[in-house]
Amino acid sequence: MTRTVRWRSVLSWAALLGLAVLAFGADHALSQATLVATYALAGLGVVVVVGQAGQIALGQAALVGLGAYTEALLVTAGVPSLLAIPAAAAIAAAGGALASLPARRLGGLYFGMSTLAFALIVEEALVRWEPVTRGAAGLAVPALQLAGQAVESPASQALVSAAALIGAMLLCTRLFDSRLGRAWRAVREDEAAADACGVDPVRAKLLAFVVGGALSGVAGALYAHWIGFISPDQFGLMFSFELLMLAFIGGAQRQAGAAWGALVIVAIPQAISVLRDALPGELARSAGLETVVFGAVIVAVVLLRPRGIAGGR
Amino acid sequence: MLAVVQVLISGVALGCVYGLVALSFVLIYKATETVSFMQGELLMLGAFTALGLHLGAGWPLAVAALAAVAGTALLAAAFERIALRHAVGRPHLVAVLLTFGLGLMLRGAVASVPAAAQETYRLPLALDVVQIGAVTLAGGQLLVIAATLLIAALLTLFFRATRAGLALRALSEDARIAALMGVPVARMHTLAWALGAGLAALAGLLLAPLTFIHLNMGLVALKAFPAAVLGGLTSLPGALVAGIFLGVVEALAGLMLPEGVKDVVPYALLMLGLLLFPAGFGAGRAGR
Repeated sequence: MTRTVRWRSVLSWAALLGLAVLAFGADHALSQATLVATYALAGLGVVVVVGQAGQIALGQAALVGLGAYTEALLVTAGVPSLLAIPAAAAIAAAGGALASLPARRLGGLYFGMSTLAFALIVEEALVRWEPVTRGAAGLAVPALQLAGQAVESPASQALVSAAALIGAMLLCTRLFDSRLGRAWRAVREDEAAADACGVDPVRAKLLAFVVGGALSGVAGALYAHWIGFISPDQFGLMFSFELLMLAFIGGAQRQAGAAWGALVIVAIPQAISVLRDALPGELARSAGLETVVFGAVIVAVVLLRPRGIAGGR
Repeated sequence: MLAVVQVLISGVALGCVYGLVALSFVLIYKATETVSFMQGELLMLGAFTALGLHLGAGWPLAVAALAAVAGTALLAAAFERIALRHAVGRPHLVAVLLTFGLGLMLRGAVASVPAAAQETYRLPLALDVVQIGAVTLAGGQLLVIAATLLIAALLTLFFRATRAGLALRALSEDARIAALMGVPVARMHTLAWALGAGLAALAGLLLAPLTFIHLNMGLVALKAFPAAVLGGLTSLPGALVAGIFLGVVEALAGLMLPEGVKDVVPYALLMLGLLLFPAGFGAGRAGR
């Protein structure tokens, strides 16, 4: 990525934020920006696993959930946030490593199925382990504490999540350019050929899931603070597919794709609430409208822009 | 002992539904190499269409059921013509997202009907309990098992004795050679989707006597997935047998293990199965 391109994308994001502030008011725009950045961070995990290493990950939300629950439980127990967030990343990375174990024997679709099974098991475990997770009733999460201050205002939340996202993106830029990043892309293009060239596919896939899990885990930890309440059903199959769709919409092989994809995912509910005001009564009140639009966006992107909006045709 | 027999039978009945949905996955996957993540939604749509035609429009139940199955099959054929054929030959992720998106649209469409979104229904079937010796069996369960056997027999006949069935089998062996031998590949893909969707709708109708008809009944497809994969993903009998196996294991787990374990048994078995038998039970431990 050249310097001019990077400046251009910084400028376009700043312009977008400015427009949003004008349209929705500062607080609302900033809280939406927080969500976009947090989703993008979780989506970056998918970009690593799906876009770089070329694996089908159908259970990424479970790793976000592991991060969120670790953070919530540690912070409630009195552990400072600066220690809890790395712990959340570590637990989610460990979950990713566990989920990638079947990759020793499997490739492609079969492996994708095993990540799905893993996610469903994690979700059920969060529901059933009631003494710790309080089951389906969920957990309340206190505000994030940084340097003795509670991060509660929309502006500070947006700042923290943007900083986390930018840090993660810089890290990923380094990583994608490294030996490991090349190994991921080699495995993505042709696993057998990569193996023949001395790349260990099992190790590459394991590390992709560890890195992807850690990124998603940090996103989960932040998400838990921003939303203030977590329950197992937030991290179900639907969220996994949202993240997959986010990476796909943005162009799964590019980092910037995660941010553009997150923007679309967060914007859809907003667009729908605008749409509801414009549509005649009966149709606007229908409960299924949001689901239909979500599905239609996925179908349209897959058919019309198979490489995502950041990737050209 | 009697309780165990009854639990076993109910496990077999539910397993039959898993098996049918798994069959529909495998049918589509074998012919088109695409994975369908909308079978659960097709199943739900089929059940609701039958219900709507019967209760809303007053059609006789049998006619409504047939129309629902045919309608679902036609809808999937149209989806194939418009959208799904673009996923053929592309990475699996494309088909996964495309079918998931189409499934969301179907789900949203059904959820937009207020009567469907809020309530659960039963199909008005007059099913008595059947007494065999000392064992009491629910009529609905026997109906499901009988219907599954019938469907399996019909499918076997279709794949062995009809031109279209043979063409589908040739296609799944080697699409290129099948095309060279004069199999109309595109038309066969449409047929495979229609058949798969029809089977899913049938499974929805058969699930109705066992549980209820409601918006989330498609979640049963998440249990059919392990069945399809455990059966090897390319074996039709394997899918059906694995479905019944999962149904029985789940029922037994519900009887003997702590609450909640039952719901993860299919997924735990899936992961275990994938680790030990990477290409399904049929291929043995040697793997791929």
